[in-house]
Amino acid sequence: MREPVRLQAEDFSLDAEITALKQASTRIGGIATFVGCARDFSEGREVSCLRFDAYDAMALAEMRQLREQAIHRFDLIEARLVHRIATVMPGDNIVLVAVAAEHRAAAFEACRWLIDELKRQVPIWKKETTPQGDAWVSAHP
Amino acid sequence: MIRVLFFGPVAERVASREMQFEPVPGMTLHDIIARVGMQYPGALSIVSFIAVNQVQTSDRQQILRDGDEVALMAKYSGG
Repeated sequence: MREPVRLQAEDFSLDAEITALKQASTRIGGIATFVGCARDFSEGREVSCLRFDAYDAMALAEMRQLREQAIHRFDLIEARLVHRIATVMPGDNIVLVAVAAEHRAAAFEACRWLIDELKRQVPIWKKETTPQGDAWVSAHP
Repeated sequence: MIRVLFFGPVAERVASREMQFEPVPGMTLHDIIARVGMQYPGALSIVSFIAVNQVQTSDRQQILRDGDEVALMAKYSGG
């Protein structure tokens, strides 16, 4: 089974990640997922691709810490976080958060918390390519 | 050596992903930032986060030692 927290260039499989989550326990009653994907527009501009850069060692350490925090805070059974570090095209997957809990409320809350904290705490940067040129994104709503 | 790492928009401004400095006794994080800033005026204006050995810090008086790894980082925009 692949590591539950990963940075990788290649796409991820939602099915494979959910299968891995389910292998953790038969106590799981609900799985919530968030998949972030690349849009073809941003702030009124067309976006032809996104390129990601990361401080790999620190990003992985932060993501592992967030996973541990989420498991304790929301009483999760298991959680998986995967972020692609690559050039992605509109429609491509960027990030996956998948969490398993006994009940749905914890799963939904943990999923939302994890993606919000990932955006806030994990040293990853994205650059948009647009007809007006390339630009690093500084805000992350 | 003390390694200073740059990523994303900061790396682009500095036109490098890494610089190295000979450690000097008592050298602080502030000293290193000042030296990078002197070489690349304005490049660090977008630095919002600083990490030493992969741990975020705001203590610029922190003493650096041989082998330390400093990262000067812009606001994160992953996800």
